[in-house]
Amino acid sequence: MHWLAENWTDIAFPLVALLACLIVTLWLRRRAYKALFRWAERTEWKGDDILVTATKGPSILWCIIISALLAVEVSALSAVWKTRAGNGLWTLFIISLALSVINLATGLIDYYGDKYKASQRNIVIYNNLVRVVIFIFVVLGLLDVWGAPTGALLILIGVAVLILALSLREALPNLFAGLQLNARGRIKIGDYIKLETGEEGYVKEMDWANTHIEALGGGIISIPNRKIVQTIVINYGRQLKKAREPFHFFGRAHLKELTGLKAGNLVELVNILKTAPDSVIYYHTHNFIEEHHYLTPEPANDFSVWVSDALGDDILGERLAALDTFEFTSLAALRDRLVSIIEEDLSQETPHLTGRRAAPEGREFRFIKSISIIVPTHYVAHDLLEFVEILRILSLSSLYFHIFESRLRLGKGQNDFSAWLDSSLDEKELAQEVARLDPYNYTLEGLRSSLIQLIEKRIK
Amino acid sequence: MRLLADKLAGKVIQNVNSTYAGGGVAEILSRMVPLLNQLGVDARWSAIKGNEEFFQVTKKIHNALHGRGEPLSPQEIALFKETGQKNIEEINPSGDILFIHDPQPIALVEKKKEIGKKWVWRCHVDVSQPIEPVWGFLEPWVDQYDAAVFSAPAFSRPLPIRQFLISPSIDPLSDKNKDLPRETIDAVLSKYGVRNDKPMIVQVSRFDYLKDPVGVIKAFKLVKRSIDCSLVLAGGTATDDPESNTVLAEVKEKAGSDPDIHILLIPPGSDLEINALQRAATVVLQKSLKEGFGLTVSEALWKAKPVVASAVGGIPLQVKNKFTGLLSHGIEGTAFAIRQILTNPEYAKWLGENGKEHVRHNFLITRHLKEYLLLFISLDHSEDVIYLS
Repeated sequence: MHWLAENWTDIAFPLVALLACLIVTLWLRRRAYKALFRWAERTEWKGDDILVTATKGPSILWCIIISALLAVEVSALSAVWKTRAGNGLWTLFIISLALSVINLATGLIDYYGDKYKASQRNIVIYNNLVRVVIFIFVVLGLLDVWGAPTGALLILIGVAVLILALSLREALPNLFAGLQLNARGRIKIGDYIKLETGEEGYVKEMDWANTHIEALGGGIISIPNRKIVQTIVINYGRQLKKAREPFHFFGRAHLKELTGLKAGNLVELVNILKTAPDSVIYYHTHNFIEEHHYLTPEPANDFSVWVSDALGDDILGERLAALDTFEFTSLAALRDRLVSIIEEDLSQETPHLTGRRAAPEGREFRFIKSISIIVPTHYVAHDLLEFVEILRILSLSSLYFHIFESRLRLGKGQNDFSAWLDSSLDEKELAQEVARLDPYNYTLEGLRSSLIQLIEKRIK
Repeated sequence: MRLLADKLAGKVIQNVNSTYAGGGVAEILSRMVPLLNQLGVDARWSAIKGNEEFFQVTKKIHNALHGRGEPLSPQEIALFKETGQKNIEEINPSGDILFIHDPQPIALVEKKKEIGKKWVWRCHVDVSQPIEPVWGFLEPWVDQYDAAVFSAPAFSRPLPIRQFLISPSIDPLSDKNKDLPRETIDAVLSKYGVRNDKPMIVQVSRFDYLKDPVGVIKAFKLVKRSIDCSLVLAGGTATDDPESNTVLAEVKEKAGSDPDIHILLIPPGSDLEINALQRAATVVLQKSLKEGFGLTVSEALWKAKPVVASAVGGIPLQVKNKFTGLLSHGIEGTAFAIRQILTNPEYAKWLGENGKEHVRHNFLITRHLKEYLLLFISLDHSEDVIYLS
């Protein structure tokens, strides 16, 4: 009691300093966190919420540490004990700060991992990585506080990092590419992507080394993250609406059947035209497209070519060539128009010359029938994405069948693609756009490109 | 094609012609039969037998179908029928589809009454203007087939059976059509003493009036008035064509001493040389007065050469005027077309490239093969649109 009576100031001053500082710092902390909460509530960014939550608890400890440091400083302790107490408090501070930073960093990783659909395995890896790095800093900090030498440890860490980097020299670029992919967030689980190098499918998983995609055929393709970062990737976005009925693609081949019928002049031509089977009309109005699809979009029919070349009648030839086949939805109507054009021309001739214009011997018009053989292919589309990808690789004869033959020859009135888009996918606007496309004005490759463009535009 | 070939699983396609070697039909079959088998189609090939007299008769029939020669004598008719009967017994035709090539084995169809099956007559010759009695002699057999196949629309005739159009084709990997290094082309030119220092017009065909080699020289002389160029007429003479030597002599006389006209007698089987000459050409000419299919046109187009050709036989199928080449109808027209090409290299290049694409899509052996598969399938169907499951 005697010692206390003599030295009460040695205890009272530090205690007062401790309490005063504690009150002030806690008051400041309270004000600061009120402001921080208000700010966090105003913003949509979740990062500030994580920041506030991660530091709110430890900040009380930091107030106590600051107050304690002040108390030690004003105390009558010897210099040695002051240093020891200070080091102890700094140690406590570094550890609590490290725990807060870990909480903050892992909170942010969890938040962004969830936002960008990173795999749980990835999130765990990144969290552990952050913990290891912070742990190293904590150890270095504590050694420095306690005056222990850090040079040897730094060298050891450097060597360890070097060994790790060398052993992971293949994996590291993929790891960083994975970080980059996650940070950018442009590719997410469930997206349909296509790489410049041809791989394509739905993204099923993104781990630290690879991105795994499910191809249309169901197979899984694992692509190193580095490759995805370095190459051009088309991202079609989320899985698209599934069709009620899938689209089955058919292949088509054709054979030419000779009818033995021939015409040497216009009268003979028109007479045979009136009675020839529909397959003959179809062949002579579509043959040019099939045989010369690589060359020109000119929808010339055989009748116009023959009238111009063999009969030398360029005017009638032009009228027949100008016939807009796309206007017709049946071969009967097309035949009637051909007949009426020729008969109108014949009616304008001087009666005694009617039908006299004759083709040179050997250049008579030979009537040919088209025999179509339709076979199912293994291509089936369940949504727009699958449809457009199949369209890219579809044979031209198959494209021809679904666009030209089904509409006019099979009498469906519209092409198969439009019908499916409308009835099975409810893509009415796209169906109309495809139906409006006049295929007779394109080469088959040009037609394929236009269809792909229309569908891609819709997907994006 | 595999999808189509699968539909013929279990069927045997029996080809029959007159020889295993020599001639265009044997050449086609030697390539086609292995390809069909590779696709899983059981395709077989037999050849009929006959003595020298029989083949003289068939040669006469061949010429008569082309509109040359005379009707058959009663002895020739008897020999043809007798050999036909012997072959029916000897070959004992079997298979699900009997694919009979050309007139020589045509009588085999008499076996149809006994064994049934599907019979197809593949006519490789131009029968558009035959000597009628000869056609009349063959027609009763033709009528017994289930179908006939012709190479060009103009070759078809009114028949009571179905007729299909299947054009012949070229094999892009054969000696006549494969890519050649520049050194080989130069070596061939050097072998025949042809200098490659000016635009070269080339016509490859046997020396026959119907190929109009004299007309070619006349057209060349018209072109040469304004453009310095050379002409190569390359071909052979046929032992079965006594006229060919006369034509050759006439051509040489017409050429005179012009050092820019090269008349080259190419021995049979010189496919590589023909390939090289076509590849060396600036313009390839086919100025025929009459033509079967004229597959030399497709050969030239495959080499991306601008072609000037007469609008006869199967040539208009290969040359779409002003798209895949130029068609002409006379000497002046031919000269005009050649001048257009020689003075417009970009146009010539465009025509050549289009021509190559045209052949790629329509006259390669793959298309030919596909159409044979379609033909075999269609024999079991009468409708115009056939759905296969």
